[in-house]
Amino acid sequence: MAQSPPAVLLQDVKKSFPLGHGNALEVLNVTALALPVGSHTVLKGPSGSGKTTLLNLIAGIALPTSGRIQVNGTDLVPLPEPQRDRFRAAHIGYIFQTFNLLAPFTALENVMLAMRFADTIPRRGQRQRAIALLSQLGLKTRLSHRPAQLSRGEQQRVAMARALANDPPVLLADEPCASLDAATAQVVLMALENICREQATTVLIVTHDTAALAGAAQVLDMQEINRVTGQPDGLEGA
Amino acid sequence: MRLWNIAWKYLCGRPLASVLTAVSVALGVSLVLATFLLTRGIRAGFIAGTTDYSLIIGAKSSPTQLVLGTIFRLDVATPNIPYTVYEQLHDDVRVERAVPVALGDAYQGFRYVGTTTDYFAAAPWQRKTFSVAAGRFWSDDPPGQPSYGAMLGAEVAQRTGLQIGEAFYEGEEMAEHPLKVVGILRPVHSADDRTIFFSLASYWDMNEVARAMAVKPLTTVLVRPKRLSDLTHLHREFNVNPETQAALPSAVLLTIFNLLGVAEEVLRFVLGAVVLVVLLYMFVALYSAMLERRREIATMRALGARRITVLMIVLLEACLIALIGGIVGLLGGHGVAVLGAHLLSQRGGLALAPFTVSTVHPLLLVGVVLLGACAGLLPAVLAYRTAVAENLAPLS
Repeated sequence: MAQSPPAVLLQDVKKSFPLGHGNALEVLNVTALALPVGSHTVLKGPSGSGKTTLLNLIAGIALPTSGRIQVNGTDLVPLPEPQRDRFRAAHIGYIFQTFNLLAPFTALENVMLAMRFADTIPRRGQRQRAIALLSQLGLKTRLSHRPAQLSRGEQQRVAMARALANDPPVLLADEPCASLDAATAQVVLMALENICREQATTVLIVTHDTAALAGAAQVLDMQEINRVTGQPDGLEGA
Repeated sequence: MRLWNIAWKYLCGRPLASVLTAVSVALGVSLVLATFLLTRGIRAGFIAGTTDYSLIIGAKSSPTQLVLGTIFRLDVATPNIPYTVYEQLHDDVRVERAVPVALGDAYQGFRYVGTTTDYFAAAPWQRKTFSVAAGRFWSDDPPGQPSYGAMLGAEVAQRTGLQIGEAFYEGEEMAEHPLKVVGILRPVHSADDRTIFFSLASYWDMNEVARAMAVKPLTTVLVRPKRLSDLTHLHREFNVNPETQAALPSAVLLTIFNLLGVAEEVLRFVLGAVVLVVLLYMFVALYSAMLERRREIATMRALGARRITVLMIVLLEACLIALIGGIVGLLGGHGVAVLGAHLLSQRGGLALAPFTVSTVHPLLLVGVVLLGACAGLLPAVLAYRTAVAENLAPLS
């Protein structure tokens, strides 16, 4: 019986940024990386080791300078940008380090917006699904609150609900607990694990948090994956 | 959630900036609409209020003063001419009708006009017909036997509240000669609505100087010649006369319209500058709002929003704010026009219709929305070109 392809596959992926005068700064060089379907992986590494860049490449937010990136069986690199946007909306959930909730919208609307952009869930069912997700994360009484009216932990859970809104097969989380206290981080990660286990979602979490390492099936060290070493700080978001 | 709903949320997210931008648009639209309504109204008011008499004979002065004073009751009255001028015209075979007009003082700002019943007589060549809403027309009093019966224009009756049978006067010196309301005219949408009419006999008897004069005074004579060729002859004859002048109301109206045209040209230039300033303000407001939320735009893009989607959201914001400003501006424009019409009616003697709605309104609204979209185009393009990864980096 043939083995199913991995949810995320990277082959010879390089990413560099032009510095002018024909020079370029290489920030990422990953020979091979495969995340099995439904796996729970934690990616650790020091600041500036290219973790966020790697997540952005997997999400199709940025393109590699060379190499192949396959998510859920689809090669991202050759996809035209509009199709890549659509693919990302439908297949990848992304939890940002600083939550990045949209300020003018309520918790419910923030979650519904992700569904609006993907348009994979029928419009009539979007509201119900958003309410169900937020309720599952303990935010039933916070549906009509704007981000500024929510605590950090609540904001993170809204961001989580938004990332899961389209039932993505792959979930990427960039330091999801970096701005939370230990107890809240524990609760948030537990909730995330439960939902992802139920839905067989492939999870890749970038974190320094030891609490996150506990539930992971595999822990990858960015310093071992990335052949580029000694990057200056400040290129994380690049 | 629809795109316009997202755009609306963003507008509500920065209420002060949105309100100020909408107000600036509204002010611009109000000015444009009010100017359009008032200039068009002034032209229409002059046309509606003009006379069907082809010639006005009065004392030597400017033709414009003669026409404005006699027809629109706008300017000061010209000096008097002798009543014999009227008698001469009345007996002239070339004249179909001659009507004497004596302009007097005013009651609560409404001008007194002494004339004969011919002033109100209907004729096939007249566009409007006088009729009474209450009471009756007065009859021509024989000289020396004034009745002091007064006929009120529609607006005079409405604004002064004078009733049939009521006596009135202005100034203690007139207390001996109070006028008595005998009739109220229906509106004719001209300066006559703001006029108090009475007989020449009453007019002359009210004035001490006129009482003593052997040949009674008049201000002007309205003349309707029988033929067009008679008009030119009469016009020349009375202009050659050292004591009188003849003015053609249509020619004076043309002069007024030419002057208005120059004023409108200047106004158009000023309004163009106002529109430009409003557009610049709107552009700056949208541009700074866009810069402030590059991170949110990058987040939307990361969530799967396409470039064209974020472009549409910013454009819709511009269109929505322009639409709101435009609608408020239309209402404001009518408000300003109402105020302007009131002032012109009180001081200028012109009857304007400030509530007139025409095809200009939807065109103006569409124009405002299109201009708003233009103002939002560059911010929208910047949103379209927002780099996602760079703007998603955690804030330090």
